[in-house]
Amino acid sequence: MKPVQLFCWHFMAYPYLDKDFDEKEYTGWVTVPNRLWDNGKARGLYREYIDQLAYADELGFDGMVLNEHHQNIYGLMPSPNLIAAALSQCTSRGKIIILGNLLPLHLNPMRVAEEYAMLDQMSDGRLIAGFAPGGGPETFNYDIPSANTREKFWEAADLIVRSWTEDGPFAHEGRYFPLRYVNLWPKPLQKPFPPVWIPGSRSPSTMTEVAKRGYCYFLSSRSHGGQTHRAQQEFAQVLEKHGDKYHPFRFGILMSTYVAETDRQAREECEEGVWYFLKNCLKGHLRREGRQLTYGPGIPYIPAAAWREYLKGYKPGGKLLGDVENWDELDASQSIIVGSPETVTRRIQNLIEKAKVGNLLIQFQLGNMPNHLARKSMKLFAEKVAPALRHESLTYFDKEYPGVNVEQSAEAVH
Amino acid sequence: MSEPIIEVNRRKVHVLETGSGAPLLYLHGFADVHSVKESWLPFHEQLAERARVIAPAHPGCAQTDENKDIESVEDVVFHYLEVLDALKLDHFDLVGSCVGGWIAAELAVRHPEKIRKLVLIGAAGLFVEGALIGDVFMNAQPEYGSSYASLRAMLFASADQPHALDMFPDGKGELEDEVRRYQMLRLSSRIGFKPPYFYNYSLRNRLHRIASPALIIWGEKDGMVPRAHGDVYAAGIPGAKLAIVRGAGHSPQAEKPEETAQLVSQFLSP
Repeated sequence: MKPVQLFCWHFMAYPYLDKDFDEKEYTGWVTVPNRLWDNGKARGLYREYIDQLAYADELGFDGMVLNEHHQNIYGLMPSPNLIAAALSQCTSRGKIIILGNLLPLHLNPMRVAEEYAMLDQMSDGRLIAGFAPGGGPETFNYDIPSANTREKFWEAADLIVRSWTEDGPFAHEGRYFPLRYVNLWPKPLQKPFPPVWIPGSRSPSTMTEVAKRGYCYFLSSRSHGGQTHRAQQEFAQVLEKHGDKYHPFRFGILMSTYVAETDRQAREECEEGVWYFLKNCLKGHLRREGRQLTYGPGIPYIPAAAWREYLKGYKPGGKLLGDVENWDELDASQSIIVGSPETVTRRIQNLIEKAKVGNLLIQFQLGNMPNHLARKSMKLFAEKVAPALRHESLTYFDKEYPGVNVEQSAEAVH
Repeated sequence: MSEPIIEVNRRKVHVLETGSGAPLLYLHGFADVHSVKESWLPFHEQLAERARVIAPAHPGCAQTDENKDIESVEDVVFHYLEVLDALKLDHFDLVGSCVGGWIAAELAVRHPEKIRKLVLIGAAGLFVEGALIGDVFMNAQPEYGSSYASLRAMLFASADQPHALDMFPDGKGELEDEVRRYQMLRLSSRIGFKPPYFYNYSLRNRLHRIASPALIIWGEKDGMVPRAHGDVYAAGIPGAKLAIVRGAGHSPQAEKPEETAQLVSQFLSP
């Protein structure tokens, strides 16, 4: 068994919006006017963000996490592979997790297979390869028809892994991406192939497809109430149905944190960045204000029967994460955990035990949080929180999963 | 009234039928039978006074089986050729609204000999420069947690008219209506949610093949398929007439049923 794996996730928000952004602008996604981009301010921003990730590597985080978004202020990474390429050269230790490339947005999945293989070579085998189908906003960014997105996604994902593992040239006789000469140069370094992570939002079909292939399931939710625990239980059941066994490293979650010397100081220091993140970055995504593009009838990618089931439990107008009105509500969402090292350790350890989760993907930089505060929080976390979490989680996992050898998991041997 | 489910090439197709007289095949749009309502709208009932109205639900809509191989309007047209065979319809009147109008036009350019008379209501399907078809998918995403006002404004002359509020209410409507709306968006996304958006570039230059008399009906305030598309249809189909329904938006069949049905019936009368 191994201790909880702590990864530093950077979304690379656009941090230079005016204070009246929420009041004046309808959304932060897809149609957020790009006249708001300010070259005078934004020059050097990628350098600052890449340096923060490199700092995470220096501080001993288990890896750095990137993902793909388009046309929004939430994440300035239409191509996470470019950032990963930079990290492959300026870091040497931690994993580089791309969660992931949005396969239906790529005309040809082989491009992803090639770039991931390059990154695995360039990083000396540190790549964790994420594949994602993309959510609602990306559907509108690239005009991706939704009804067959999932099928296209899995065909692409399987083709990529096949191209990594099977000698070429071979012909791929697929419904969506037929190719005559699949013959990958370079091959990835890791054998049999880089670990594959797939994000999902509790859809049983995604869990099943992930389980069938022995990949790691990443819950894309930002809030961690009972749903996170339920997702873990559901995924464990699906694994068992496929003759496999759950352990904490088959599962990952996303959370955010801010650590300072005391609870009070932590809240004071991060509050501006937190509200910028909640009200601006989530507008159009996890907020009722404006138009929510993430999930709904306009992106009809699940079958009608599944939509009927969803509707039965759906209460229109319910609060999303970005709709929290005060600090207590935010606290209750277990999304952004703020406090002293002791507070943060206790609350995250609690989350680890409840969700039986081994991969924590943690966002430190929130909204317009200044560089020095993000780095201070990361440092305190690495020095005061991470050691305690590693110790306590290892004890807990050893007790809960005796005799499980995580290195020989399906993910590793496949 | 016959059994509403027929089998076509091993798939179920949901077909409603009412009235008697010459056969009239109706292909539904968004604010319509099968795509919101389980039963006929007053518009169809009025048509049925003089015709045998036959309305199949598109693939994946209502109780018609979904067909995941449908990726373009061409696939839907082929599906309907098989439906026509199964229904033994070889010469009939064809009426279609919005997406249904697009399918009707594509069918008519391929098989002009099958169509006695053609009626297109606010039909999608054409590329008209400077007159983009509205984004029904974006507008189907709720605003402010539960408002579908912008979707109603796209599909009707105004967001707050009673027909609009009845068919596309805010929040959560009747469960099966919601499911039918979703199914229609899902089918539409297969054929219309990608560049090209709800059109087939080649259709315009094929319109001359339509040999039957044609009536093009457009709502005065169509917020989804701009009026310019009606003009192009009317100019492209030999001898076609254009009729504007005053005060209606994109869904004259739901908004002005009496007037629209009268236009259609008059045009179809022998």
